[in-house]
Amino acid sequence: MTEVTRILNACEHGDPFAAEQLLPLVYDELRKLAAQKLAQEKPGQTLEATALVHEAYLRLADVEQERHWDSRGHFFAAAAEAMKRIVVEAARRKKRAKHGGGRERIEVELANLPTRMPPDDLLSLAEALDRLEQVEPIKARLVTLRYFAGLTIEQAAAALNISRVTAHCYWTFARAWLHQQMNGEKPE
Amino acid sequence: MALEDIFLEAVEKAPADRAAYLDGACGSDAGLRAQIEALLRSHEEAGSLLDQPLFQAGPTMAAPTSTEKHELLAGRYKLLEEIGEGGMGTVWMAQQIEPVKRLVAVKLIKAGLDTKQVLARFEAERQALALMDHPNIAKVLDGGTTPSGRPYFVLDLVKGVPITKYCDEHHLTPRQRLELFVPICHAVQHAHQKGIIHRDLKPSNVLVALYDGKPVPKVIDFGVAKAAGQSLTDKTLVTGFGNIVGTLEYMSPEQAEVNQLDVDTRSDIYALGVLLYELLTGSPPFTRKELEKAGMLEMLRVIREQEPSKPSTRLSTADGLPTLAANRGTEPAKLTRLMRGELDWIVMKALEKDRTRRYETANGFAMDVQRYLADEAVHACPPSVSYQFRKFVRRNKGPVLAASLAILILLAGIVGTTWGMFHAEAARADAANEAEQKRQALGQKEAALEDAKDKLFQALVNRARRAQKRSCRAAIRSAEGDPGSGPDSYDLRIANRSSRGPGFAGRGSRSRMGSLE
Repeated sequence: MTEVTRILNACEHGDPFAAEQLLPLVYDELRKLAAQKLAQEKPGQTLEATALVHEAYLRLADVEQERHWDSRGHFFAAAAEAMKRIVVEAARRKKRAKHGGGRERIEVELANLPTRMPPDDLLSLAEALDRLEQVEPIKARLVTLRYFAGLTIEQAAAALNISRVTAHCYWTFARAWLHQQMNGEKPE
Repeated sequence: MALEDIFLEAVEKAPADRAAYLDGACGSDAGLRAQIEALLRSHEEAGSLLDQPLFQAGPTMAAPTSTEKHELLAGRYKLLEEIGEGGMGTVWMAQQIEPVKRLVAVKLIKAGLDTKQVLARFEAERQALALMDHPNIAKVLDGGTTPSGRPYFVLDLVKGVPITKYCDEHHLTPRQRLELFVPICHAVQHAHQKGIIHRDLKPSNVLVALYDGKPVPKVIDFGVAKAAGQSLTDKTLVTGFGNIVGTLEYMSPEQAEVNQLDVDTRSDIYALGVLLYELLTGSPPFTRKELEKAGMLEMLRVIREQEPSKPSTRLSTADGLPTLAANRGTEPAKLTRLMRGELDWIVMKALEKDRTRRYETANGFAMDVQRYLADEAVHACPPSVSYQFRKFVRRNKGPVLAASLAILILLAGIVGTTWGMFHAEAARADAANEAEQKRQALGQKEAALEDAKDKLFQALVNRARRAQKRSCRAAIRSAEGDPGSGPDSYDLRIANRSSRGPGFAGRGSRSRMGSLE
């Protein structure tokens, strides 16, 4: 049984600390994978978040052992969070120093992540998401799952254990709320 | 009401009606109202913000939003209303404007699939698709790309419902269902003859519509699955298994191979088998629930390896059997009994894991169903004893090997002892034969000896007679020359001896005869 499978089992049995152990493992794997993909692929070609996350899952978890959507949900939650961190770090580095020598190779590669958003927007989105996490954690996670891990709304709903309709409502609200935050309008 | 609820209600309303709604909902709370109005503004401005993942293959492709309504594709198809959503995208009812005015169905492929490849594959298949002309097939009319870069297909619009739904709603009996199933096979056969494999046959792709009051099944989406590349490559497995889950229940074992894409017409036969299974029992051989319980790779393994339960078994263990039976216009016990035997065999033959054991063609499948309907002997039959035996051996290699070894040894023993016994018997018979021969030879010798004795005796008698005659003659001669001896007494003696005749030659008189000499 792999380390990740063990943690996923613990998550499923209600261990509240297990999920935290998952994050660093998934984070490392995703970073490596993303850098590797970026190095291999021809310029102009892009990278799919969903593909990345699923590949990480196949690599880390004992797929034969994993049978339940529940445990996959835990995995995707960790993966989405890890993706968010990777992307935010890359955006920060891009903003900070265009030519800071002595960076690791992985970081060089990751600077080329083909994101839809300019680094500035991405950073303000991340900040807004952190604020949303404080007040509406489920909504923040829904956005992270969809936007950073590329899950469909149905898959995200399943991972969060909420209904599809609820997920749609949450999505509409969170999107408007985040947009407002990113554009500097305070809600209160 | 909380801010969020009011906002969500307001979003659903047309912009013009929102002010009135907010008047009522917020009442005098100006702060709340301002917040909601700000959020509503953000909602409008945000548009499809975040709807697409941060990074994804392909250029930015617009998500399916309501903005597509009334969109005009290729200058001739006007999207009217969304009528369905599938694994591959959304289906719209559209108005074709020229060259003829009519309603068509437009299938918009999900963003994310590689547009160029989809269209290239579609172009490649287009000629073949155009050749299809069958009353039970809805044609693919056209294909192209939307201004936002999503591929689409234009299809005949079939105003029908999925076949399983139609059958249940109309409480069709199993016989009526089978009758409805036959033309579907014919449609698939027609396409196969034109070199087109459907690859995605399932109830939602077989619609039943009423034509002149009669239900007519129509197979839709021929060729679309291939063009859209909805094949289970390594990539799709990894990228979006949400998509493949959509049709897992109808996927043939060879389609469930992870790296192998060796799909042929027999994969459609399998899917037809699943369809018939579902029509008869109310659920596919592997239900979605069962498959979802398993992990992704496990699901594929189940499809490849696990034998599904027979329709009759599935029915007898089904939870909602009374409802299933009622929907089929019969009683639970009767329905299960009806399924046992030929229908089990027919369905299971189409579902064989090894595609060489399935029906060769869709027509072959249809003909067997028709044979059943006409009470003729069906070609599908339960696995032969030898086949079952082979399967059994493959399952229990060790024990079977041990058992056959034991049997072999036993046989060898029997053969050996029998052979020995046979030999001993032969030897005994030979000996008896020899003894008999000896006995016979002895008998012959004795007979020969007796014979020789008789001959000797005869010879002795003859000699005696000759001697007697000689002595008689000498006696007569001497009597004639010597009268003194008196003929009377001598003659009398001779006469006495002669009167005894042949009796005189008796064996018992040999000694006297000897003395007489």
